[in-house]
Amino acid sequence: MTSETRQQILILHLAEPDLGAPTVAWALYDGARPAGDQQMQAGDQPEPPYASVVDAMHHGWRVLQLPRLPTYPRGAEHESGPLPWEYVLERFVSVEPADDHHHSH
Amino acid sequence: MTTTTPTSQRLRAIDMARFVADGFVEFGDLIPAELNAQVHRDALAYPRNRGYDPNKPREFWDYSDAVRQVFDLPAVQGVVESLVGPDPVHDHSYLHTVAPGKREAQRWHVDSSLAVDHPRQFDILVCYFPHDAPAEMGPTLVLPGTHVRRVSYHDVTRYKNFLGQRQLTGPGGRIAFMHESLWHCAQPNQTDDWRFMFKIRYLPRVPQQGLFNTAGWDDAEIKAFYNDARRQYPWAGDGFAAMGQAWRTWWRYLAGAE
Repeated sequence: MTSETRQQILILHLAEPDLGAPTVAWALYDGARPAGDQQMQAGDQPEPPYASVVDAMHHGWRVLQLPRLPTYPRGAEHESGPLPWEYVLERFVSVEPADDHHHSH
Repeated sequence: MTTTTPTSQRLRAIDMARFVADGFVEFGDLIPAELNAQVHRDALAYPRNRGYDPNKPREFWDYSDAVRQVFDLPAVQGVVESLVGPDPVHDHSYLHTVAPGKREAQRWHVDSSLAVDHPRQFDILVCYFPHDAPAEMGPTLVLPGTHVRRVSYHDVTRYKNFLGQRQLTGPGGRIAFMHESLWHCAQPNQTDDWRFMFKIRYLPRVPQQGLFNTAGWDDAEIKAFYNDARRQYPWAGDGFAAMGQAWRTWWRYLAGAE
């Protein structure tokens, strides 16, 4: 039986735009977990899985997205919204072929 | 709530500064133990998981004499008036429950679509835990300091974990007064008991200026607090400079200095 691959998406938020800056927030969306299994939940992990994006790269993660650096329209210099230094990473992992593939959505 | 509480019952400047920086203030000693126990009994006797009915926006409030007594306490009224002024609108209230053994966390969210004059114009959410709420029981998780950021309702659901996230754990009678834009979510309940949290949303009828006990608002103690507070929000990274700017201009407005 040949194995299949599934995508994992890791989102790391850093303290600064430098890819080696410390991780301050993180979320994992794991396509290798069977459908219906619980994904990472809000508040379930007190420490980041990787110290930085560079650290995650050393563990085999590929960087998919780098955030744009900011521009500051006059009059909105002090506005803030979502966390700015958001990096999206991916990794592909092998899984056993699912017996109940037709149940997947 | 038609009377105005005496200044001595209002938030002191340092407590108000904490609200400005954290986006909430919490207390564990405002409510007598016997009143907490009665609200807990009422919650246990109340039909659970009935869902919120917008046509009955105060169902548990109307059901429980004890919970109305809690919010009639001068100490509780004093905090409410400090934040939203006298005679605020009781927009709605609801007994939030997390069932025993519930494994899923609620997703991060805010209870606001952004006021026109955010963050100066704000409703408050008063979260009251009548019983002991240790971490494993799933009391609300908040991210202190997020209320000054401009996000709406479910913009933040993609996030899962942050440095600095903090659960409102504590003994029975804990009550937190939150800015409407604070990021928060309910947590899983690993115990065999129901977790209850009664929440009221209050809307101000007046501009939110000069409502707290403003004595000493410009003292060195307050300036030192804001300087120290800059280091308390690790999730903000180098964005804390913008937060400091937001606090200072809002603080002067709150104190009535501009």
